[in-house]
Amino acid sequence: MILRSLSIAAWRCFIDPVDVGPFKDGLNVIYAPNATGKSTLFEALRRGMLDGHRVGGREIEAIRPWGRSLAPTVTVEFAHNGTDYRITKRFLDGANSKLERKENSQFVSLAQANAADERVRAILSRNAPAKGLAQSKNWGLAQVLWAPQGNLAIGELSGDVLVDIRNSLGAQVSGPEASPIEKRIQDSWSEFFTTGGKLKTGKEAPAIVRLRERLRKAEDELTSARLQQQAFDETAQRVEKLRLRHAKAKSDTENISKALKEARSTADSYKTLLSEKKQREERLKATEAKHNELKQKLETITGARKELDDARKSLDKLELDIPQQEQKVQNCQKQADEAKAALNDVRKRRPLIDTAQETAEQARRFAENSKTLADLNSQLDKIFTAQITHAERKKERARLVAPDAETLWNIGKALKDIDEAQVRIDASLITLEITPEQDGSLAVLSGDETGTRTLHTGSPTQIKGSPEVIADLPGIARLRAWGPAGSIDVYRDDKAAAQRKLEELTRPFSTTDLTKLENLSKKGEELDKKIAEAETKLETLLSGESIDDIKQERSQVGEAMAKVLEQHSDWKNIPPDAKALKIGAQESKTAFIKEIETAEPRWDAAQVALTEATTEKAKLSTRMEETKKLLGSAQSRLAWLTIDGKSDDEREEELKKAALAWEGARAKLEDVEKQISAFGEDPVAIVEHLEKQLETTREIATSALSEEKNEGGILQQLAAEGTYSTLSLVEEEVANLQRAIVSEQLRVDVIDLVYRTLDQCRAEALAGVAGPVEAAATQILQRIAGEKLGSLHLGKSFEPAHVLPEISGTSVTLDSVSGGEKEQIYLATRLALAEVLTKDERQLVVLDDVLTATDADRLARIMTILEESAQHLQILILTCHPERYHSLKDANFIDLEAITKNSSAT
Amino acid sequence: MKFLHTADWQLGIKAAHVGGAGVRVREERLASLNRVAEAAQNHSVDFILIAGDIFEDNGVERTLVQKAVDILSNFKIPVYLIPGNHDPLIPGSVWEHPSWESTDKITILRREEPVSIPGGILYPCPVREKHSRKDPTEWIQASDAEGIQIGVAHGTVEGIQQEEPDYPIPRDAAIRAGLDYLALGHWHSTATYPAPDGAVRMAYSGTHEATKFGERDSGNVLIVDIPSPGTPPKITPVHTGTLSWHTIDEDIRESGDLLRIRSQIESIENPASTLVELRIGGLMFAEDRGEIDRINEILSSRFPFGHLDASGVRPSPEDGKWVSNLPPGILRNAATRLRELADPHFAGERPQGASPEVASRALLELYALITEVSP
Repeated sequence: MILRSLSIAAWRCFIDPVDVGPFKDGLNVIYAPNATGKSTLFEALRRGMLDGHRVGGREIEAIRPWGRSLAPTVTVEFAHNGTDYRITKRFLDGANSKLERKENSQFVSLAQANAADERVRAILSRNAPAKGLAQSKNWGLAQVLWAPQGNLAIGELSGDVLVDIRNSLGAQVSGPEASPIEKRIQDSWSEFFTTGGKLKTGKEAPAIVRLRERLRKAEDELTSARLQQQAFDETAQRVEKLRLRHAKAKSDTENISKALKEARSTADSYKTLLSEKKQREERLKATEAKHNELKQKLETITGARKELDDARKSLDKLELDIPQQEQKVQNCQKQADEAKAALNDVRKRRPLIDTAQETAEQARRFAENSKTLADLNSQLDKIFTAQITHAERKKERARLVAPDAETLWNIGKALKDIDEAQVRIDASLITLEITPEQDGSLAVLSGDETGTRTLHTGSPTQIKGSPEVIADLPGIARLRAWGPAGSIDVYRDDKAAAQRKLEELTRPFSTTDLTKLENLSKKGEELDKKIAEAETKLETLLSGESIDDIKQERSQVGEAMAKVLEQHSDWKNIPPDAKALKIGAQESKTAFIKEIETAEPRWDAAQVALTEATTEKAKLSTRMEETKKLLGSAQSRLAWLTIDGKSDDEREEELKKAALAWEGARAKLEDVEKQISAFGEDPVAIVEHLEKQLETTREIATSALSEEKNEGGILQQLAAEGTYSTLSLVEEEVANLQRAIVSEQLRVDVIDLVYRTLDQCRAEALAGVAGPVEAAATQILQRIAGEKLGSLHLGKSFEPAHVLPEISGTSVTLDSVSGGEKEQIYLATRLALAEVLTKDERQLVVLDDVLTATDADRLARIMTILEESAQHLQILILTCHPERYHSLKDANFIDLEAITKNSSAT
Repeated sequence: MKFLHTADWQLGIKAAHVGGAGVRVREERLASLNRVAEAAQNHSVDFILIAGDIFEDNGVERTLVQKAVDILSNFKIPVYLIPGNHDPLIPGSVWEHPSWESTDKITILRREEPVSIPGGILYPCPVREKHSRKDPTEWIQASDAEGIQIGVAHGTVEGIQQEEPDYPIPRDAAIRAGLDYLALGHWHSTATYPAPDGAVRMAYSGTHEATKFGERDSGNVLIVDIPSPGTPPKITPVHTGTLSWHTIDEDIRESGDLLRIRSQIESIENPASTLVELRIGGLMFAEDRGEIDRINEILSSRFPFGHLDASGVRPSPEDGKWVSNLPPGILRNAATRLRELADPHFAGERPQGASPEVASRALLELYALITEVSP
């Protein structure tokens, strides 16, 4: 198709209607400054040709002029296959579409609404989607022919345009005979597959898709049917088991009931025997008790008689033993008294021993105190001496007035400050020195010392002053000398301050002579050192005590010694021999202890013997009393036991009879026990056990029956459903579908293989014929950019892939070339592809503000190429740089800005 | 004593292998019972003895049970039957259906105990579980009994190939048990087991109606005539089946073979009761492709079930002329490529899904399309 004219209204910046055109069949350049609406025109062209008029969404809403309730409208007049058409589309409010065809110089309606959209869209794209036209992949032919603003780049082509290119090229390899067959194969394949190679779905889905869906449902039913059949089989098994369980429980119940009946009969017999056994046992106990009673009485009588005899014998013996024991007690008492007297005799000597000990101790302490007293006196003497020395040195130090080290340092510093100030003063003074050649006088008018000075031949005279020195040489000249204005007063103040400081510091020492002051200071330090030594010595002698403490200690020692001397006045003259006294006292004490140790055990032994004898005597007396009581008791008991008056023989005879009765009862009991033991296990326990068993089996039977009824109900329900018949039907359906699917799958696979094989063969053939496109693109590129970039190579979807410069011999991707060359490569590719796609009809090529990075030389070559292309293409250039295209011959230049102004004015 | 021995009716059988014909197969099994009744009537038998597997499964729909009872009730002579391993005597089985109580002509032999019948004694071996390694006839001791002794059991006679024993029955079971005849069920083909003296006292009647392709000598009942105790039974097979199950394996070698096969199929008698499974292999000429379609049409339309398996067909190496006659270009290239892929011994890389079968069919399809567009 080629464009005749374009009209838009209420479209972004174009609020009023704007008509652009007519366009020439060849070259057209629409120019205008930026933001005038060139790209908006291109957008209107795209939407007019490709968009559905009912399209909605934010993107289309954005084309409505801001703040206005206007419906965007576009009208495109175009020619296609030699016929003129006009499509008018109104978007958003009152959306509509109308396609007209020029018949006899008049546009006549051809289609409306969706039909109009589809017919126009089909011109550019055979299978354009109704939505998503904003993406260039859906533009069909325009993917190649129309370059959006600033974007000459051509990506991987898709959809119909790719098919068209391939078909166009493929026709060259297929030949005219193959095309209908290929089309037939394509049609057959398309019955099953989408263009993407997937099986169709929805209304157009082939039989296999529907069969698969039916199979999926049938398989679900099959799973369900199998589960039902499984449930039926399993329920049947459960019921069978429950029946068996119930039958067994029932049988067990009967058997146990029978056994229980027999067991109860046996248990009755057993209980009778048990009762008899109890009676026999009681009889046995009675006879045994009788026998034992008699036997015990006989034994008691015998025992009482023996007891009586023994008591009498004991009494006789005690009557002999007690007097003897009394004598023994008296002897022991006597020995104890003697031992005690001896012990007391020894003990009476203890005070003498203690006194000797004390005297020895006093003598020892006396000797110690004597020594301590002497030491304390000596210490006090030394302390007094040290105190005197210390006091004298302190006195001497007090007499000496000497600067300390800090004062001495300060004095030194003051002297130094004075010297430094003097130096600065001297440096600040102006000195005028005159050396006369003959004697004379000099009148000093200004200086430190004014007045007249006498001059002597050859002897220099200096006059100092500040800030100037003026002197008259009478009759000769007035001399004036000055120097740089200085701060001599400051230095003089510093010096005065330093001198005041010095006087203040040296006032106590009556001299400012630093050497003397240093000697004084040194002497003072020596005296201080001696004082410190004396103090150290004094502290050492005191050892942390005060003199009063030492004196008090000496007084205490003296008092202690005086007390001792009160007892031992002789020690005043002759000091005691503490050691000898100690040895003597110790010897006396040792001898005393030895005697005590002998006397005390003796006394203890005598005491023990006395206690034992006394105790034994008491025991014998007690025993005699007890024996007498026992004797009386035995006599009473014997009398009571024999009160029946029977003889011993009579009692023996009675005992024998009781023994026989006991033995008879025992035999009868053993007989019953033997009968009982013949029963083995306790029949009563067996009855109880069987009763429990019976109860349990009855419960099991009841439970099994109940469960069987429940499961039986379920089973009957499942049986009524005819689970197997259902399963059969579903399985047959599944098998049928599977067979049909296999058959259909084979059909699909067959046509797919035919198609894919043909496609592969075509692709292989195309790989060869795509070469001309690459060659055409390369030729265009080399005309623009020279041979530097070498040959241009396209990808499988005809997108520019890389260039192969002849110099390097290795491929270079588009990322590695300059921006200008890149857009030249894309332009060359688009023009080469356009050649392929426009063999039968002139087509519109749109270049919207492209070639911005191309230099003037190459642009000039491009102009030539565009002029050539315009022989079979309609080229529409949108640009804000019309001067770049002025060289185009026969181009139709359209001033968009002027059009819009006129439109607004109108 | 004369009776009709039958077994393995397998009513309600599942026939997934014949897909949509399953319903027909089941209907025919029920309808064939009328021919069983006719055979009984024609041979004036005293009773009918059914050796198990009357139903395919205990889970068959209960209306089928009712139908079977109704048919058996109309036999007008006593019917004795045992449950088989397909319809064992278990809870929920078909034998619990109340319809069995509606007639006194049918006796379900539920226990292994002798049952007196006019002229002799029956020794039934009912089956209570689907599988067993136990000889069901082991309990029978008929030597001392009076009258004709007939056993009826369901199992596998020793010697039949099986993965593991399934109700094994010794080959001398009848003699060992002292029976005049042992009526067997479980195997669908008619089979007799002569004793060393040549007398046949043990036989499978087989199913009364064939159940699948390849089933040998089925669709019969046996008329058993035993004049007196100890006399060898006279056994007469009577065909009762309706459906024919045809399996045809053909190998085509030359152009025209398919036409012959089609003629063979077209000549099958009684096609409305015939199920056909046709397997064709060999080498085919492209021009015969239409015969395949024609055969398929006949199989689909004329028979209750007809299936053609042509997966073994490959293009004839001699049939390359049409390919070479194609103009040079992608069509000829594609045809040549498909011919290569159709060869099972093709050594190159096969595209996904391009099996020799698919490639063979694809080549034929291409031929058809070419001839369709350019006749």
